[in-house]
Amino acid sequence: MVKNHGRISFKTLIKHLPFVGETTGGWFPLLWFVSFFVIAVVPYPALAGNPTEQLKKTTDKILAIVSDSRLKEESKAEERRRLIRKAVDERFDWEELSRRALGRHWARRTNEERRNFVALFGELLERTYLERVEGYSGERVSYLGEKVDGEYATVDAGILTARKTEIPILYRMKQNGGSWMVYDISIEGVSLVGNYRNQFQSILAKSSYDELVRMLKKKVEEK
Amino acid sequence: MKNWKCTLLMACLFFFVNLEFARGEGEAGYGGVIRTAETSAEPEEFEEDFYYVEEGLADPLEPVNRVFFVFNDRLYFWLLKPVATGYKRVVPEKARVGLKNFFTNLAFPLRFVNCLLQAKGKGALEELESFVLNSIGGMAGFFDIAGAAGVRKYDEDLDQSLAVFGLGPGFYINWPLFGPSTLRATFGSVGEAFLDPVHYLDSSGARFVFKSSDLVNSTSLHIGDYESLKRAALDPYVALRDAYYQNRLKKIQE
Repeated sequence: MVKNHGRISFKTLIKHLPFVGETTGGWFPLLWFVSFFVIAVVPYPALAGNPTEQLKKTTDKILAIVSDSRLKEESKAEERRRLIRKAVDERFDWEELSRRALGRHWARRTNEERRNFVALFGELLERTYLERVEGYSGERVSYLGEKVDGEYATVDAGILTARKTEIPILYRMKQNGGSWMVYDISIEGVSLVGNYRNQFQSILAKSSYDELVRMLKKKVEEK
Repeated sequence: MKNWKCTLLMACLFFFVNLEFARGEGEAGYGGVIRTAETSAEPEEFEEDFYYVEEGLADPLEPVNRVFFVFNDRLYFWLLKPVATGYKRVVPEKARVGLKNFFTNLAFPLRFVNCLLQAKGKGALEELESFVLNSIGGMAGFFDIAGAAGVRKYDEDLDQSLAVFGLGPGFYINWPLFGPSTLRATFGSVGEAFLDPVHYLDSSGARFVFKSSDLVNSTSLHIGDYESLKRAALDPYVALRDAYYQNRLKKIQE
């Protein structure tokens, strides 16, 4: 398009750029401005930083705790759990998780019931997670890609086991303040929230909310 | 004049991209739905159409399925797990993974034919490639040299092919011994028998040895999985049914 003995000078380039170039008759700077404005108004995900990076930071932190040989002694078990729990809490949005797991039943609960539920359900999930993480034996996590849409994002990851099989994991994250918080994990297509949602619905269809809470309590206390 | 068109096109593109962002659909995008829902007066309505496009699996046989669930549960804890644990103690992991590779390689016709049925040319080629490589270079499939070289396996079965043809799952069936299935998957596995080389063995004794060693071997590599599902679940029957079905949906989609 622009022939300049095989080289394009910066000036020519600018001239022919759409939106700013003189060739467009001066209308397009305005369009360009409008476009820019539209972009700025739409909540732009990059502002809160990258979901994958934030997720990776937490995962790395947990892996570091798990593989720390000083914490592997029996006497340090409690401290180790506390450290993992702290790292997990920084990245998991327990309320969002509970809300989605209860689905339409969430709306019918009082604030206090909700608070209790979040604490109880969070405890069950944390315990499950801790038990999983403590069985860790050198698996590697790789991040395969992310999709960001407004304040929601998904991060594709894979866990490469010692037997060289890769387990696909999908993290669903929501932007909260400056950070991206996990509210669901899908392992091989099985969503954690979806799985509990089905169980909760089945229980609530047959009995009551109080019964569900009682079952949750019993489950958490199970050794 | 050309520039005009070019700029117009780019402006349209820009606008379109912005729209995409604002609308909030796609993989992660329940954002749009939720934002509008929260301002609407009926919170319960939006909870109904949350982001899971729940193609719920019908379970009219639930009472019977639950009985078989308990049966399979006992079978696992009383028979299969003790046998697999003993076997695990005797046979080193490398050998067990080798045997698993052997059985995976043996099931090549199933994956190959179903790649073809679903018109996955690349999948069929890669399956053929890894079958030839592993059968010859990998000592009858014990070593997954193709996998190590980056050739993918395509976990396609007849149930997925039938789903791709547009057949619905029917309903959930929890078979004694075989576990979670659907009406469609049950039909599928009947057809799959014809694609299974073990099925063509002459003596029923040999067929039994093949099948049961495959079962014990793969169980030995997965001890603890079922236990943790049970431990985390409030209703293990529903948890397993849902996990089975969600996993199926993902495999069909792929």
